[in-house]
Amino acid sequence: MKLEIIKMALESLLANKTRTILSMLGIIIGVSTVIAVFAIGQGAKKAVDDQFQGLSANSILVMAMRGKTESSKLKTADSKVIVENCQHISSATAVIQENMAVSFESEDGTFGILGVENNYFEMSNIEIDKGRLISEEDMDNNEKAAVLGSGVAETLFLEDEEIIGKNIKINGKTIEVIGIVKETGRSMGKSSLDDSVFLPNSMAEKSILGSKAFIMIFTIADDVENIEIASKEIVSSLRTEHQLRDSQADDFRIMDAGAMVGAAQDAAALMSLLLTAIAAITLLVSGIGIMNVMFVTVAERTKEIGIAKAIGGKRGDILSQFLLESVVLSMIGGVIGIIIGNSVIFIFRNTELITLAPSLIGIIIGFSFSVLVGVFFGFYPALKASRLDPVDALRSE
Amino acid sequence: MDSDSSNIRLFNVSKRYGAKYALKDVSLDIKKGEFVALMGESGCGKTTLLNIIGCLHPLTDGEYFLDGENIGEVRDDYTLAFIRNKMMGFIFQQFNLFSRLTALKNVALPALYAGTEKGIREEKATSLMKSVNIEDRASHKPTELSGGQQQRVSICRSLINNPDIILADEPTGALDSKSGIEIMEIFIDLKKKNKTIIMVTHTAEVAKYADRIIFMRDGKAVNNNYKLTSNY
Ligand SMILES: Nc1ncnc2c1ncn2[C@@H]1O[C@H](COP(=O)(O)OP(=O)(O)OP(=O)(O)O)[C@@H](O)[C@H]1O
Ligand SMILES: [Mg+2]
Repeated sequence: MKLEIIKMALESLLANKTRTILSMLGIIIGVSTVIAVFAIGQGAKKAVDDQFQGLSANSILVMAMRGKTESSKLKTADSKVIVENCQHISSATAVIQENMAVSFESEDGTFGILGVENNYFEMSNIEIDKGRLISEEDMDNNEKAAVLGSGVAETLFLEDEEIIGKNIKINGKTIEVIGIVKETGRSMGKSSLDDSVFLPNSMAEKSILGSKAFIMIFTIADDVENIEIASKEIVSSLRTEHQLRDSQADDFRIMDAGAMVGAAQDAAALMSLLLTAIAAITLLVSGIGIMNVMFVTVAERTKEIGIAKAIGGKRGDILSQFLLESVVLSMIGGVIGIIIGNSVIFIFRNTELITLAPSLIGIIIGFSFSVLVGVFFGFYPALKASRLDPVDALRSE
Repeated sequence: MDSDSSNIRLFNVSKRYGAKYALKDVSLDIKKGEFVALMGESGCGKTTLLNIIGCLHPLTDGEYFLDGENIGEVRDDYTLAFIRNKMMGFIFQQFNLFSRLTALKNVALPALYAGTEKGIREEKATSLMKSVNIEDRASHKPTELSGGQQQRVSICRSLINNPDIILADEPTGALDSKSGIEIMEIFIDLKKKNKTIIMVTHTAEVAKYADRIIFMRDGKAVNNNYKLTSNY
């Protein structure tokens, strides 16, 4: 019985293809927006997680002022200044970063080049897999030594190849591989740690990256409670070190882990909120559109309703017939919306533009919404249809 | 009156639209298996009377007994729909078939409303269509059928739930006389199967097939028992 009514609903929707497609459009846009909202939300969460994973809550980051890298006096040696002058900072390490081509024999690739201090690995929870990490002597001697991320080793070398002791080339300079670190799955800024080459920063600065590379100083406060005081200490020690007058602004900026994660999450949440509002409005408008179309359909089929009643159709039969039509309409729109939404996610999933992750909850919610819109906005027209007076309905043309 | 043998009995039934009476104090008694024609000039209330008998309309005044049961006061949609579905079959001048459904599905529709299983209702529909020689048109849409064929489809539809009463509002009104006669022959067959038939018509040619004629004027039944000499 139900199957036949679904078939009849489909047939009547097919009889009016243009109208059906037009009235579906709103639902399609609404549901694909819902899918996108969840993908963006999920993606942002993933991006924040990836970026800040391994960063403890008492980390404080010092960087050159955005867009003023050149005029900033921030230098790798400032990490020593910070540890020595700031009471509440327990450790600090400077990192310089740039992307560069790296080659071994005929294999090559572009990777993140990180000039680090020997304490970097411990502070970032990076563990050695083969060979050894960069030592204090390597630092002092400006040793041309490199520790490879797991991805770099995979790209440049064969699986069973003996890598330690081999010479790779970075920017034309020959560097010896002294170690390979374990896979981390983490990233720093835009580049993955697994796709990075770690060099002693003194050597990297002098021979490879130059002094214009992007500098960051990771510091760790002795306690989460002391983040604020520690930040103030960093500011005053660096201002003294950089010999800034009172009238001059800081030539560096400071971010603590909590603020960074919070800012990233806030941005993602705001984006989601905006899109949710758009999706809600689109679904509302599409619902009104469906209601409108259903009223037109009921008006057009008034005579049919009269006939149906004359041959024994109950109010419930007529109500469910029209309700089903609007639900089928919105459901098909919902499915198309899910397909379009996920295709868009698939296309943009790995672009620099935005991080997107398909979300099952998004699909479920998108689909439920489409059904809900069909039921909610189809109900009133269907109810009106079912309540028509049979004789009046029969009389209409 | 003996209500046991009465299929349909109306007592002083009135139907009012605003201040105007479309029916005024109509009383009649139709026995099971009777074939009755309703005649009278346009606007005299024939369709209104048929709609009241068919439970499409509530009556304003009076009493309506169906198989001895007073149903004039019934307003419940479920009961009224049940009566229309199982106890009556409607046939219209303009056939009133669903244009999107095939002939077979049109015939089977009242059985769908009755909750009959698909296989059973389509089997019934097919055998009914066979009995009026239109089984070869079963998978066609109404627009692909002639008027006479469409009317036979609608007769099959009225019979699918095996009701006792057939209500036909000018069933030959849109047909040529040859097709009209074919329809009347089907009605005679139905009468033989003990169906009660109430038929509105404007033409004596058609009315003469009935057992008796009820004449109406200005919402009143003026002659309840007129008989044309039949030549069948
Ligand atoms: N919904 C309505 N509202 C107001 N008046 C109505 C309504 N339906 C019918 N009438 C009036 O009731 C009277 C009877 O109408 P009815 O349709 O029963 O006539 P009829 O005998 O079937 O006529 P015809 O032979 O033309 O079909 C007419 O005067 C008509 O104008
Ligand atoms: Mg009439």
